[in-house]
Amino acid sequence: MKLFLLIARNVRRSYVRSGLTVLGTMVLVFVMTLVWSILAFLGDAMAEKSSNFKAIVTERWQIPSQMPFAYADSLSQGAATKPDDVRPTDSMTWQFYGGTTEKGTRTRENTVFAFGMQPSKINTMMDDLDSLPAKEAAELQAVIDKLESNRQGLILGRDRLAALKKQVGDRITLYGINYKDIDLEFEIVGTVPAGRYDNNAFFNRDYLLAAIDQYNDKHTDPHPLTEKSLNLVWLRVPDAETLRKVTAQIDSSSDYTNPQVKCETQSSGISAFMEAYSGLIWAMKYVLSPVIFVTLALVIATAISIAVRERRTELAVMKVLGFRPWQLLLLVLGEATLLGLIGGGLSAAATYVVVNIVMGGLKFQIGFFAAFFIPAAAIGWGLALGGGAALLGSVMPAFAARSVKVAEVFSKVA
Amino acid sequence: MVWVETKLCGLLSRAMLADSSGDASSLWASVPLAAKVLAAVGLLIVVAAVVLGKIPFRYNVRNLFVRWKTTLSTGVVFVLVIALLTATQAFVNGMYRLTEASAREGNVMILSEGSTDEVFSNFGFSDINDIANQPGVLRDALNAPLCSKETYLIVVQPRRNPKPDGPQRRFIQLRGVEDPAISGVVHGMDLHDGGAWFSSVGVERRDVDGSGKKDDVIQAVIGEGLASELGRDRTEAERKAAKNQDRLAVGDVFELRDRRWLVVGVMKSAGTTFDSEVWAKQSLVGPMFGKVGFSTLVLRTQNDAAAEKLKEFFNTDYKKAAVTAYVEREYFDKLNQTNQQFSYAIGFIAFWIAIAGIAGTMNTMFAAISQRTKDIGVLRIVGFARWQILLSFLIESLFIALVGGAIGVAIGSLVDGSTMTSVVSSGQGGGKSVVIVLSVNAAIVAQGLLLALFMGGFGGLIPAINAMRVRPLESLR
Repeated sequence: MKLFLLIARNVRRSYVRSGLTVLGTMVLVFVMTLVWSILAFLGDAMAEKSSNFKAIVTERWQIPSQMPFAYADSLSQGAATKPDDVRPTDSMTWQFYGGTTEKGTRTRENTVFAFGMQPSKINTMMDDLDSLPAKEAAELQAVIDKLESNRQGLILGRDRLAALKKQVGDRITLYGINYKDIDLEFEIVGTVPAGRYDNNAFFNRDYLLAAIDQYNDKHTDPHPLTEKSLNLVWLRVPDAETLRKVTAQIDSSSDYTNPQVKCETQSSGISAFMEAYSGLIWAMKYVLSPVIFVTLALVIATAISIAVRERRTELAVMKVLGFRPWQLLLLVLGEATLLGLIGGGLSAAATYVVVNIVMGGLKFQIGFFAAFFIPAAAIGWGLALGGGAALLGSVMPAFAARSVKVAEVFSKVA
Repeated sequence: MVWVETKLCGLLSRAMLADSSGDASSLWASVPLAAKVLAAVGLLIVVAAVVLGKIPFRYNVRNLFVRWKTTLSTGVVFVLVIALLTATQAFVNGMYRLTEASAREGNVMILSEGSTDEVFSNFGFSDINDIANQPGVLRDALNAPLCSKETYLIVVQPRRNPKPDGPQRRFIQLRGVEDPAISGVVHGMDLHDGGAWFSSVGVERRDVDGSGKKDDVIQAVIGEGLASELGRDRTEAERKAAKNQDRLAVGDVFELRDRRWLVVGVMKSAGTTFDSEVWAKQSLVGPMFGKVGFSTLVLRTQNDAAAEKLKEFFNTDYKKAAVTAYVEREYFDKLNQTNQQFSYAIGFIAFWIAIAGIAGTMNTMFAAISQRTKDIGVLRIVGFARWQILLSFLIESLFIALVGGAIGVAIGSLVDGSTMTSVVSSGQGGGKSVVIVLSVNAAIVAQGLLLALFMGGFGGLIPAINAMRVRPLESLR
């Protein structure tokens, strides 16, 4: 306890030095927390789950995947045809529709990429939206109900709604980018809870299917995407064994030959997409993170070694008073660690609050991930980073303090 | 060690060449305004120090050596921060150079109306010939229009010998072209020695594995970056037996969509987006992957002015087909959205790390001053003015920054010439997977040094002001 009081008193002795050290620690832990949050999210997305799998069925040989809508029903059942075939516990289909609010002019602001799907699947199959807190889940359910009852409804992400300068209740016309000459008129019926879908939109797939039919009725040639309107089918399966059986059912089915399809886990699909960023992810993990950590350790080491040098006389007096060398070592290590823990913990907690609550996520597009959030575990990372770097940085100054020679110090003083 | 020397010598000679060819002014122009202002202020301080009066330089330098541990740890912070900044800037610069190098002066790119990316573009066959025959499009010796007709596809390839915990497949950019020789001329793309463009049928019968059985193989020309990547799929034994151990070469075979593809040429494509592409006969690969029509037309004109004129014509007056025309440079500029994002991210990280560096420098300088209060008192008594004390301590801090920054730039510059995979995109879907050659230029070196000076200057300023305010008699008491 006495030692701890001494440590606390030492920290308070030079507010400037302690303040600068905590500031340095805070900013570096802040950067590390952001970088690690992105890495942790990507790592989690690419890691194979042990249960409650999601599988993706896509066209086998090319992206963007484009399959006939006729595949939708049977693929949603995991190609199960016989009574003893295995079926997914849930499923959803995705049909991508890109459009602009101004005909012929495309800007970042006026472009909307929307998922055409069954409204009821938004809160049972979409990542994050399937696990909302009760209040947000109820709000989303109310919006989904509107989408069920209004085939021309559109649910927009908050950032997209702001970029379009529209409000819930407004009507917009989207001029097709990929579905050329198929323009869709929508009524904005609500927004998605803040998060990773801030720039996306959802609409009822029946509306797109009806629009394609309408186009084909009016033209002699069918729309080029008529037989390519199904982009992805998502399946939820309880375990790896079920996934293996469903994959085998789909692979062996003769219904999916032109085009062929493939079924893979969500993580495997994401890993393939993220492969292009592998160099960047590697650099974040093995270059950026270590450099920041070492910089942090050095900033702390500099401050602590200065403190030790300034207190050589005092340390010698302490030795004379009976303090053991290991106690002096602990004193210095403790002082550094305390500063590191304060700086690291404060920084990570502040980053968590600012990024998640104030900013609504870190907007940084990597692949199809547009926003990242700071996990609650980041507060632990901050403490570990700050404390760890401080401990590492103070080892040498602490040993210098431990081996202060009383006679040498007093001979200089004399 | 030899590698390090080679790298640094290469950089130095490039910088010297840039100076001698008159590129230095353009490099200086590329340095941001804030950095230029900072450089001017720094220069002013040094000039003031030299011209206006005596500064105890030797005393300062000696002090740095006396407190060598603190000097070293502060200097290493500068080294790390500036090395990191230099390497990351080299990445962004490589991305910009890639998109710049992929565009060719005088080329006009035609996509279907509203498309900002080739992957979303789709033409009808009837549209094509009329577009190619418009006035302003150059023609070859046989009077054929220099129009590269292309179908751009991103296809899935199961990896050979994948790592168990790694991705099992990769995406490959496949460009179906109608006439590869014309496409080569339009894009200014040459082949490595021993290669040839694929034939007019784009397929040949060949015994590729020496079993005596001949198969129909699709002829393909591939970018050298992709050739290296596919070359890494080979087993150790296959690589040892191969003609080229580093990459696939002419005569090698790879698989795509259950078919065998024969490499008939490797493009000299390093530093362009074509580096990660496979080119093959459009009439074969289009139907094979369900995209029968063309996605892209690239027209060759006399120069950028002619290209601009043709672009305007297609975007405003041309009514036979709904198209969107871009001068090729403009199209690739749009792909810089990703680069800008990374640029902002690096700026953001550099800003915060710089603050930590400033905090570290301040600590060092405050300690230096508190240890030398008596020295400062003596200096004041022997006649050094306050501003000379201020400059003396400021220069001490700038010296650590400059040396640390210079070493940091040198270390960071070692990434120059190395490659990395990434994606360039317009941020509106699509995008291209590319192999980037990291590139350090004079502007990056200048930015690194100026950031170091900024950190050193800002970190040293407040402690130096404190030093300046020391009262001689009080300090000696």
